Amino acid sequence: MLSAIKKRAFRKFKESETKLHLLNYLFWECTTRCNLNCLHCGSDCLKESSFPDMPIKDFLLALDTIEKFSENLTVVLTGGEPLMRKDIEICGREIRKRGMRWSLVSNGHLYNKERHISLLNSGLGALTISMDGLEESHNWLRNSDNNFKKVENAISLAASSSRLNFDVVTCVNKRNINELPQIRDFLIQKGVSAWRLFTIVPIGRAKNNPDLFLSDTQFVELLNFISDFRNDKVIDVKFSCEGFVGKYEFKVRDSYFFCRAGINIGSILIDGSISACPNIDRTFSQGNIYRDDFYNIWQTKFESFRDRSWTKTGKCADCNEYKDCQGNGFHNWHGDKKNVLVCHNEQIEKVMKF
Amino acid sequence: MKRNWMRRIIGGLSFTSALFVFQACYGTPQDFGLDMLIEGQVKSKTSELPIKGIKVSVADNMQYDLTNENGRFSFYTEMLENMKIRFEDVDSVQNGLFINKDTVLTVLNEKVFLDITLEEK
Repeated sequence: MLSAIKKRAFRKFKESETKLHLLNYLFWECTTRCNLNCLHCGSDCLKESSFPDMPIKDFLLALDTIEKFSENLTVVLTGGEPLMRKDIEICGREIRKRGMRWSLVSNGHLYNKERHISLLNSGLGALTISMDGLEESHNWLRNSDNNFKKVENAISLAASSSRLNFDVVTCVNKRNINELPQIRDFLIQKGVSAWRLFTIVPIGRAKNNPDLFLSDTQFVELLNFISDFRNDKVIDVKFSCEGFVGKYEFKVRDSYFFCRAGINIGSILIDGSISACPNIDRTFSQGNIYRDDFYNIWQTKFESFRDRSWTKTGKCADCNEYKDCQGNGFHNWHGDKKNVLVCHNEQIEKVMKF
Repeated sequence: MKRNWMRRIIGGLSFTSALFVFQACYGTPQDFGLDMLIEGQVKSKTSELPIKGIKVSVADNMQYDLTNENGRFSFYTEMLENMKIRFEDVDSVQNGLFINKDTVLTVLNEKVFLDITLEEK
């Protein structure tokens, strides 16, 4: 009964948020250059990118179109590897000058003490660093001999700062699923207070590598692991917002599933395209900062993000959970968009049947 | 304003603690931290000229900035009560020799400008 009321109220809340569509989370894909060559890269990034880094002034011109930004609008710098750029600090200060916050997603490879200090000095407020297993499995996924050591150092630095809202993310796959308890111990020992777990979406370089994807049983094991440690006060372990997880909703994260792509989350991509999360199929782009007014596009377009009824197709067409799931995470719609790439709830249901 | 109240009420009914706090799948947490921008200029008490190369830091914190040729420094740092800011001559005789100084910030604003003079050794 209570659960039904909560569900209904949350549906209403989603409707109202969608109608309001306040922009309070903006990705900037500031580079597609990367110093690693990860097996699971959804962006297929390389050391040398076919796109030059976007000049800061171009990004700021787009940012300045936002007439009235919401409280705590966070600009999230992502890539590629954003720290490949030497001018991140300049950009960060420009964002802060405008009264907005900024944060960074990094693979940790270039995150040393000097950079940590210069980023904090420039007003960095939140940071996410990837750690995809213990040394061997992390370096395997990251396709690097020494990234783990650098990530370890980066995590120690970030965790030592009481200013940063910092978390570690782990892409869970066949090679690291059995290491989760040890990874948790490692992070606690490093002083990390928040840990987010993902699965890998079959896009970019990942799609042809079966080692990267959990079986249905392993996926449920992952959810059980998170659920077991959710109430643990030592470290906040949660599942990412990548998809709807049916019976596990509310057991594995703070809130019900709500894909906010295009509702509260926007992006400016490397070629100036205006979209939502960078891992979303680029054919969903809504405009381009080099020819459109960014904020006008945010306010007046994004129909396919704010009305998801078009996702009621393929396996979603007759699904009983559609009202709460609405086609899963938006990044699960690629190619011909006739069917969702991953249905987390289906994976769970399959295991529950046995 | 009315809309904002409505969304809070509807949100509250779903008993979810983190309705307005979220992070995108591949993004970072949002930043709700309190910080402040500390800027200023360091000059010589005797010559009244700006001093380059003075290390400006917050006590018990690894953050610091070095003054530039105009004696200017600038950094964001966590907003804490009674924060002690330290000014240290760390480059030996290169830009003159000055006595280190500590100052305690008693007023906390989003932005603070400090005019500091250092005595020569």
